[in-house]
Amino acid sequence: MILFLDRMSRRLAQWFTWIGGIALIALTALACFNMLMRPLGKPLAGAYELIGFLGALVVAFPLGYAQLTRSHISVDILTARYSKRKRQIVHGINSFLCTIFFLLVAWQSARYATTVWKRGEMSETLRMVYHPFVYMVALCCLLLAFILLIDFLKTVLSPTAEDR
Amino acid sequence: MTGIIGILVLLAVMILLQMPVGFAMAIVGFCGLWYVTGLSSALSMIGTETWANFSSYGLTVIPLFILMGTICFYSGVNQSLYDTAYKWFGRTRGGIAMATVMACAGFAAICGSNNATAATMTTVALPEMKKYRYDKALSAGSIACGSTLGVVIPPSVVLIVYGIQTGQSIGKLFWGSTLPGLLMAFLFVLTIYVLCAKHPHWGPAGPRVRWIDKIKALPGMSEMIILFGLVMGGLYSGAYTPTEAGAAGAFFAFLIAIAIRRKLSWKGFVSAVLDALKVTSMVIVIVWGAVLFGRFLTISRLPFQAVELVSNLHISPPLVIGAILVIYGIAGMVMDALGFLLISIPIFFPIATQLGYDPIWFGCLLTVVTTMGAVTPPVGICAFVVCGMAQDIPLSVVFKGVAWFIPAYCVTMLLMILFPQIALFLPGLVK
Repeated sequence: MILFLDRMSRRLAQWFTWIGGIALIALTALACFNMLMRPLGKPLAGAYELIGFLGALVVAFPLGYAQLTRSHISVDILTARYSKRKRQIVHGINSFLCTIFFLLVAWQSARYATTVWKRGEMSETLRMVYHPFVYMVALCCLLLAFILLIDFLKTVLSPTAEDR
Repeated sequence: MTGIIGILVLLAVMILLQMPVGFAMAIVGFCGLWYVTGLSSALSMIGTETWANFSSYGLTVIPLFILMGTICFYSGVNQSLYDTAYKWFGRTRGGIAMATVMACAGFAAICGSNNATAATMTTVALPEMKKYRYDKALSAGSIACGSTLGVVIPPSVVLIVYGIQTGQSIGKLFWGSTLPGLLMAFLFVLTIYVLCAKHPHWGPAGPRVRWIDKIKALPGMSEMIILFGLVMGGLYSGAYTPTEAGAAGAFFAFLIAIAIRRKLSWKGFVSAVLDALKVTSMVIVIVWGAVLFGRFLTISRLPFQAVELVSNLHISPPLVIGAILVIYGIAGMVMDALGFLLISIPIFFPIATQLGYDPIWFGCLLTVVTTMGAVTPPVGICAFVVCGMAQDIPLSVVFKGVAWFIPAYCVTMLLMILFPQIALFLPGLVK
């Protein structure tokens, strides 16, 4: 079961990373295009907000991938001296706390998106709805929470799986 | 007050128990907000702050500059830089180590990552230094310390993050950090020169290179000069915003990689994008955590109390700056520089500005001290990278080599304190 969930989380993180990559290329293209058009007196209307929305996707979509590849910076100066068992306990507690926290972040982001939607809020220049972007950020936080939960379950259920 | 101090202790405990720094700051910030403002206010704040940070126009500069660096990395620009520096300086005693530092400085001008520079230079320069029987500690120390120039010489992620957090102009910070970065590179080269003059067998001279070959090697630097000129020139003239400079840099790095160098494969491009995404995610999670933590600190009035406390102590400002640098030096030994910088900015930035110091100068000074943390034991990321890739050089030898370069960092900071114009002259010219 854990293996299945693990495979699923990796696949999802991979897809999400691809979306993040496309958003990064689009972001680069958009900023360059706007830079070229400005001296011609035809800057792209709403470039500022579009860049912001794409930036949110670039940051949020690879969150799961960064966690899977252990890219987030942590300090192991103390835990390196612990026994393997102790390290597993610490790792389990960390994963559990982070799972709960990112569930909260996903929930609150989704709530914020719903509020924006219900209020009919739109971006200032383009007058486009932006709550779908906020929902996407919430979804990415949910995936991160899911990956952290699997980390926790792996630590609890198979004590040797700490160093994947 | 006791509750607030308890929350700060909780942050230290979480970080020391290996929770990712960004996550720990966000969780502690949330708990602190909950303690001070109540649960419902803290909950709604994490929703709005997450969106506000992730979609911030200012932060979009980070993935773009990182992408520029990763594209250059995968297209082998650093190899060409090293080849040029090697042909020009390899003949001098200790010249290969000097060439390594110069290549690091050149690569730093287009890439803001210490680790990428350390990894490549270990692969490129270390075999050459082994071939000419360079002292192992000198070889490893010059690569590890040279790679830290990546954070000081612009574009630098640390400077961008500092600029965003404190509301300072990123363009001015970039220009402010240029001379200190060059000064540091010069002091590293001087260190190698002095060491090799004292111990000639540590850095034997390399083979003689014909002038024609030296001149032929010069185009190896052209890509770096073009990219650096393009990015910094645009920022200097105010022609484009930092985000646009990053985008143009990434785009031109891509053009150079496929049209001039023809060394970037599809696989290399995908790896460059993936690396950029990974590092972006890591950096922005730290920034987001620091923002939540900063909100809590502001509401708790801790930074204001710290400023008040320091003002009432009647200590001379240079001593306060010295104390701040010592704190950063110690913190850099045990944790990631960027993480600590973000935790501490809300406290130290108001103190420094209250004492009358220029925010640009302070940012450049902090960049130098935080980058030193990347090579000092026990947690010196760049030293770990060199040790991990060199295989036959123990960590203790790497740290021994690094120790010879520590005076260069200290002299740079001292000169910056004595002559603030080192960091303020170029920003003063920016439009």
